Amino acid sequence: MKLWIKIALATVMVFAVVGIGIGIYLFNLEAADLRKAKPDFIISAADLQQAFENNEVSASAKFVNRIIEVSGNIESISIGEENALNLTLQTGSDLSSVICTIPDAASTVNLSTGNPITVRGECSGYLMDVLLNNCVIIK
Amino acid sequence: MTKNGYIGFFSHTPIEDIKADNNQVASVLDVSTGEIVFQVLIKSFHFEKALMEQHFNESFLESDKFPRSTFKGRIVNLSMVDFNKNGEYEATVRGDLNIHDVTRNISVTGTVEVVPGGINANAKFNIAPEDYNIKIPSVVRENIAKIIEVTIAIKYTALEKK
Repeated sequence: MKLWIKIALATVMVFAVVGIGIGIYLFNLEAADLRKAKPDFIISAADLQQAFENNEVSASAKFVNRIIEVSGNIESISIGEENALNLTLQTGSDLSSVICTIPDAASTVNLSTGNPITVRGECSGYLMDVLLNNCVIIK
Repeated sequence: MTKNGYIGFFSHTPIEDIKADNNQVASVLDVSTGEIVFQVLIKSFHFEKALMEQHFNESFLESDKFPRSTFKGRIVNLSMVDFNKNGEYEATVRGDLNIHDVTRNISVTGTVEVVPGGINANAKFNIAPEDYNIKIPSVVRENIAKIIEVTIAIKYTALEKK
């Protein structure tokens, strides 16, 4: 076999293997670990809630699907289904807050209401409260 | 009411099982009238695999166009449920479920458990994505069940006035 055919075949093989590898990797990719992700916004719970209350459309365009690092005091802690934990953060509003859902509640020892906390999560939008998903505790 | 309710769904096919969880369900139950309302953000459903969550939001539910899903209904056998007495009751709820901008009248039977300090509501029912105009591309059609099992688990606490 001529050398150039061997090189061409080898090149095609390498591309095929890499392609299949990338496909399998993408298919099995788990939700991003936000501990390693860089936040798009760093904001207080009060300011985040205020932004949605003032103008839901513009706040949604700005924050939804973005990674947000939010700080505030814990208003309540509620154990959800499937190992999840919901942290509600105090805001300036009595009716509306920031709710952070942590999928793996095992990582949430020593939390108590009233204490300050910083959480990183993906913003899903605004229902009655600002909702953050896939959250991790930063400090 | 609650803002921390749970709705999950489960799709089983011979190829794979797919599960999604949403712990950010807002729901209000009026014990005097039996009226019950649910509201969820589609983007709050959490999948094990990132690509599934992306397909679910972008292709199937089109959550940028239709970010919310709602249910408004009523307990039809309200006389059978005594909210003043602890215990478990069977309750049938009928109402309008809106998913993907399609509204359908559904009836679901579940349980209502009156416990000290609150009310727990649980139900399981099936829905067909096709009924809500949700198109599954042919590439993944074999991976997603025609009938999806929906699980609802809500813990209501009395509305506090601050």
